[in-house]
Amino acid sequence: MSTPVRRILALLTAAALVGAAGAQVTLNVIGFRVPPNEVGTPLDLAYQSFVAGFEVDNGVFVNALESPPDFNTFILTALASNTAPDVWAQDASSLAAIASTGQLLDMNVCRELVPSFDFERFFPSVLALHQGFEPGKTFGVPNDFTPMVIYYNPESFARAGVEIPTAANLSYEDFLELAQRLTLDTSGRNALDPAFDRANVEQYGYRVRRFPLDWMHWLWGNGGAPISPDGTTASGYLDSAASIEVITLLRDMVTVYGVSPSPSALDALQASLGFLDLFLTGKVAMFPRGHWELIGLQANANFTPERVGVMGNPYRTAPATVMFESGFVIPANIAPEKLEAACKFVDAATSPGYQDTKALTGIAISGNQAVAQAAIATAKLPAVEQAFFDQVQYGRPPYGALFPQYPAVETILQSMMEEILAGEDIQAAVADAVREINRELSR
Amino acid sequence: MATASTSRTAAPRRGPGLWRRFWGRWNQREGYLFIFPSFAHLLLFFLIPLGFSLWLSFHDWRGLVTRDIPFVGLDNYRFMIEDTRWWRAVRNTLYYTFVSVPLGMVVSLAIALVMNLKLRGVYLFRAMFFLPVVTSWVAVSIVWLWVLDGNIGLLNYGLGLIGIQGPRWLENPQTSMLALIIIATWKGAGFQMIIWLAGLQGIPRVLYEAAVVDGANRWQQLRYITLPMLAPTTFFLLITGVIGSFQVFTPVFVMTKGGPRGSTDVAVYRIYERAFVNFDFGYASALAWVLFAFIFTATLIQLWYMRRNLGRTYGSS
Repeated sequence: MSTPVRRILALLTAAALVGAAGAQVTLNVIGFRVPPNEVGTPLDLAYQSFVAGFEVDNGVFVNALESPPDFNTFILTALASNTAPDVWAQDASSLAAIASTGQLLDMNVCRELVPSFDFERFFPSVLALHQGFEPGKTFGVPNDFTPMVIYYNPESFARAGVEIPTAANLSYEDFLELAQRLTLDTSGRNALDPAFDRANVEQYGYRVRRFPLDWMHWLWGNGGAPISPDGTTASGYLDSAASIEVITLLRDMVTVYGVSPSPSALDALQASLGFLDLFLTGKVAMFPRGHWELIGLQANANFTPERVGVMGNPYRTAPATVMFESGFVIPANIAPEKLEAACKFVDAATSPGYQDTKALTGIAISGNQAVAQAAIATAKLPAVEQAFFDQVQYGRPPYGALFPQYPAVETILQSMMEEILAGEDIQAAVADAVREINRELSR
Repeated sequence: MATASTSRTAAPRRGPGLWRRFWGRWNQREGYLFIFPSFAHLLLFFLIPLGFSLWLSFHDWRGLVTRDIPFVGLDNYRFMIEDTRWWRAVRNTLYYTFVSVPLGMVVSLAIALVMNLKLRGVYLFRAMFFLPVVTSWVAVSIVWLWVLDGNIGLLNYGLGLIGIQGPRWLENPQTSMLALIIIATWKGAGFQMIIWLAGLQGIPRVLYEAAVVDGANRWQQLRYITLPMLAPTTFFLLITGVIGSFQVFTPVFVMTKGGPRGSTDVAVYRIYERAFVNFDFGYASALAWVLFAFIFTATLIQLWYMRRNLGRTYGSS
């Protein structure tokens, strides 16, 4: 039966139920509708099928809305004006800003209302992103997620005559040596060679940038952190010996070892080619990124499966990675007559069926453990998918899932690293950042 | 006549109140109806938000939700005092203003002097110089992003033709603000040129004729007739230029996002980031009112200076 026919039948069924049981419930949900240019694609059909099936099974009408641009502003405004949708997917990196308003439903309520809705289906480290803001409460449940990992180009390794590491996560020392061996000048000498010509680099080993998402896992992997676990201070954390040591290592990768292009050199490289072109054509051998980058890589004209591999983040004390995630949330002030339907909708949307669409988009990994595990076998790049999967155990929440003030802190961290990569004194730049962050956190 | 006069003296009537004067003109009440749409617009989109932002500047409103907006007195203003990013943005704004306003005025005056000559095709050139004024800042910014590109930009290509290695304009903290100033000068020159032209064409010809009789050369005519007679125009452009420069935002937002290394982080961009990136509306409102105070003070100083000096120019106090 075609999807439109199913939808019509669903509406008729729903209408019949309305006649029998009173007013029909309409659920306003965001994120289950494709933009106009994707109508008719497999993803569109999968969404329609899911929505129609839910309507039939539950006798409700689902008003699926396309996700608007600048979503955080939209949702905050909608919450402020009591016009928020009934279900939407919220990025964990801004979850605390929303949760701090007290306008998100504790999903334990849904667990009590809908017996089939259990939390065991989720990866514990991913579900934890929703449980860090207020003890005992679960603001939302995982939809999809990605750990940050290191992408590498096997052809760059072959060009440098370097074996691809077998360990899932390297030590800092091994990673630095690997990056040095992968960095080649135009004469083919690597960065460990005394005659290496830093002015004429043909292939860089790694990419260091100012953005915290690129280096937070480095900080954690050395036992450092930008702020305290309770989010009250940066003193003793960002300026700790562990943090300073790893910030120095990152800076030295650019300025001392020359394995990463400087910001201006990277800008120059990217003036004529996009970064993914640079990566796929062997100009930069490794860089940190999440699952979403696979979409751009596979769409690139230079892509071949042999040019993309993934490994875990290097570490000294313990492996760690930032977990970027999108989770389903329900507003706390949802109309009572809609609550059960909304809970059932989240139950269905985190179950096989809808979660199988994650394999279609490829943007992230399913939040449902069983679905994610099953998707590895059918993935276009199974080894890459498995490598992502292996890093989930080391995942930590982004600070934006824990502290509403974090966006201002992130801006400061980014500026700090920009100064450091431009040659500013590390101790001074960190001290300035600590002072600024403490001011923000004290408000 | 005498009676009426006596009557007025004996029982002086109080003048009509403000409301009576406003509403008492029966024959003009339709006029209020005509101005109502504009007034409603002004009230809804300007006066109420203005008052609200002042109220907000004394409250801690973060995250857009209206449930909890505590009164914090002057805390937002105190926080600003030690906000190094804000003061860096103010410093950058002052740099932008002090360079772009005089530069823009000089360039546009030079253009206006040429455009004031009776040359063939002068109207076409006037229109060409005015074109950037009617082009959107966003479009202009995107075009200039390409023009200023360090590798493939038109500007560096042109410099290369004469043997100059152009900098990476927007990626270098030393040149990024200069690049914005160049763009602002280019974009604003047409408008200022028109104002200068109006001023130039208001100068009586007899003054130049008398100067020629007295043996004044071109430079002396410019120095002792044109520039003094353009004083009101100069002050108009100075005041509007300073106000506009303090509010620079779009090219920063589109081209540099305040970078590199904060070198183009200006006051309005900082307010924007606080309000619409960090959703810290209370503090952003406080910053906006401080910026208003800066602009207001700068304008008052210029007005005071203008009154004092224009009075001297025209021989009155």
